[in-house]
Amino acid sequence: MWEFAARSLNASTVFTIAALGELIGQRSGILNVGIEGVMLFGATLGFIVAKTTGSYLLGCLAAIAIGGLIAALHAFFSITLGGDQVVNGMGIWIMGFGVTAYIGYPYTGPLGLERIPDVGGLSPFFFLAIALVVLTWWMFAKTSLGLRIRSAGESPSVTEVSGINVTRTRYLSVVVSGMLMGLGGAIYSLSYNPVWSINFLLGWGFIALALVFFSMWNPFILFGGSILFGTLWQLSLNPQLVLPDVLSRYIWRTVPFVITITILVLMSTRWFSSRWGAAKPEALGLPREEE
Amino acid sequence: MRVGSYEVKLEKKVRVSGLEATIISLLAIVIGLALVGLVFLEAGVNPLNGYKAIFSYAFLNPFGLPLTINRSVFILLCTCAFIIPMKAGLWNIGMAGQLYGGALGAFGVALAFGAKGSQTPTASPGMIIPLMILGAVVGGALIGAIPGFLKGRFNTNEIVVTMMLNSIGYWLIAFMIKEGGPFMGGGGEGQGFKLSESVFAPMAWGGTFTIPIALAVAALLYFMFAKTTLGYQIKAFGLSPSAAKYAGISSQNVPLLVFILGGLIAGLAGYHYFAAVPGLYKIPTNYGDFGDLSFYGIICGLISQGNPLAAIPFAMLFGGLTNGGRFVQGQLQLGYGIDYALLGVLMITLVAFQFFYRNTVVWKKIERES
Repeated sequence: MWEFAARSLNASTVFTIAALGELIGQRSGILNVGIEGVMLFGATLGFIVAKTTGSYLLGCLAAIAIGGLIAALHAFFSITLGGDQVVNGMGIWIMGFGVTAYIGYPYTGPLGLERIPDVGGLSPFFFLAIALVVLTWWMFAKTSLGLRIRSAGESPSVTEVSGINVTRTRYLSVVVSGMLMGLGGAIYSLSYNPVWSINFLLGWGFIALALVFFSMWNPFILFGGSILFGTLWQLSLNPQLVLPDVLSRYIWRTVPFVITITILVLMSTRWFSSRWGAAKPEALGLPREEE
Repeated sequence: MRVGSYEVKLEKKVRVSGLEATIISLLAIVIGLALVGLVFLEAGVNPLNGYKAIFSYAFLNPFGLPLTINRSVFILLCTCAFIIPMKAGLWNIGMAGQLYGGALGAFGVALAFGAKGSQTPTASPGMIIPLMILGAVVGGALIGAIPGFLKGRFNTNEIVVTMMLNSIGYWLIAFMIKEGGPFMGGGGEGQGFKLSESVFAPMAWGGTFTIPIALAVAALLYFMFAKTTLGYQIKAFGLSPSAAKYAGISSQNVPLLVFILGGLIAGLAGYHYFAAVPGLYKIPTNYGDFGDLSFYGIICGLISQGNPLAAIPFAMLFGGLTNGGRFVQGQLQLGYGIDYALLGVLMITLVAFQFFYRNTVVWKKIERES
């Protein structure tokens, strides 16, 4: 039982770190629906670097770097060129999907490194995730940097007038957010499921995106949601734990996706959306008018 | 900004003419192809020779051309499935799930009439084939209706929902065709049953009859958006849902309708590839590849700016590129997945070029002050 719980928490680590990244970017007003693409880049490049150098550390660093770089591209399209953020995000996602399929293919198969030592079944990344959740909360609640990011996401023109460089704040947030997404991808490909195949994230990035909406931009709710999804995912892989022989294992694989849709619908109900609307960064996804 | 003795300024465009849009789109494609040319260089192949091999196999080779046409029809149908919600300002990235639904519908009908393998079907092909198409259309529309209904009724984010449905459809097909599922083929591991020869899709003018159907769908859509009230309502909703509401356009029905129409056409794409393309006539093990191929519909829809007729040549181009890419990667010893690399690079260059749809770069010589 503990083994199952630990495995679920390891899965939730991937959701937590990637979704925290998305949360930071969205707080500054930039929506990145291409989170799946950024994670695919991090997962694939991290996997390749770790496999060729034999070093997990280098793998993670490569993933963080490529995540930041890809997110900087999104920032350039969305902030400097002022394009539609959803279109740009879609571009990032499909680029990640297509390009990683090509560059990762020669490395198809298991990583073949000794596994990262765990603490009672929990990967060390899980503790990193907890630290990052607390750190993110603290940054937004207590620091002036957090306040700057939040105000850039709420009302960019007022923020600009009060002497804060909105463009720089947003660039910073989006690049950091991409680094976290890249790291999330690397945790998936190096620790949770160290076997590369085409598009092996299977929509985890989109689930992480849904989690951010679900969290009402609160890191602690986001962490709770991640644990819920990590557990659901593990259950769908091991249906014999709950209802042996009831449904085909393929049907069970659809369960996390069905639940994601259900939760999204619940969030859209009037009861939830009145709260949701209050928490949503006011300028999220809006192109900025330059005078 | 000053560059040398020139003043460079950006001006917002109010309208993009058809000619301008075509030039920008072609430029985006050329730059995308040039970037992928780096892959050829890395493999020690002259990119020009690489593309020559791709295009001559795709469009001039007697074996390659039919494959290109089949892929293009598939991409064109996926593009139409993407365009209809796009006109309403909504994102349908669930063509994969919808075409899986279409495949399940079509093969469900075939199975119901015993049109499996060497068995003799219990009804005439003249009845089964139309019913299979109906099954495909209904299957696709049902999957499409889900995000449409949720968007209209609850304002649920359609991007996440359609993406989740892609995964759900993927596993549903796995359930149907693998490990003793109802559609499992005899003997073959992990693939669906083969259709009876009598219910193979009929051919028209040397190609599958789905070719004229796809062209008709594109023409019909063009007409719908140009001339009908319905098309006008969808476009008005896309420009401003709240303004459309004052014009009496239902904010619940439009999302539902556009996704049903989109899903219906994607279902047809599923029928086309799995039940009409010669040599296949079954749901193969690698059915996921066709789900991936459907994402070309997004690029094609964006690049043709939502114009279904303009999408036809682009669908041909992408069909040829993916087909030729698959062929040359074996011939020129390139890595697997050159068609995936093309998909990714073309998409991002296109997104970058969206900038030029919105802005004009103006160069003005600065007069020397005397």
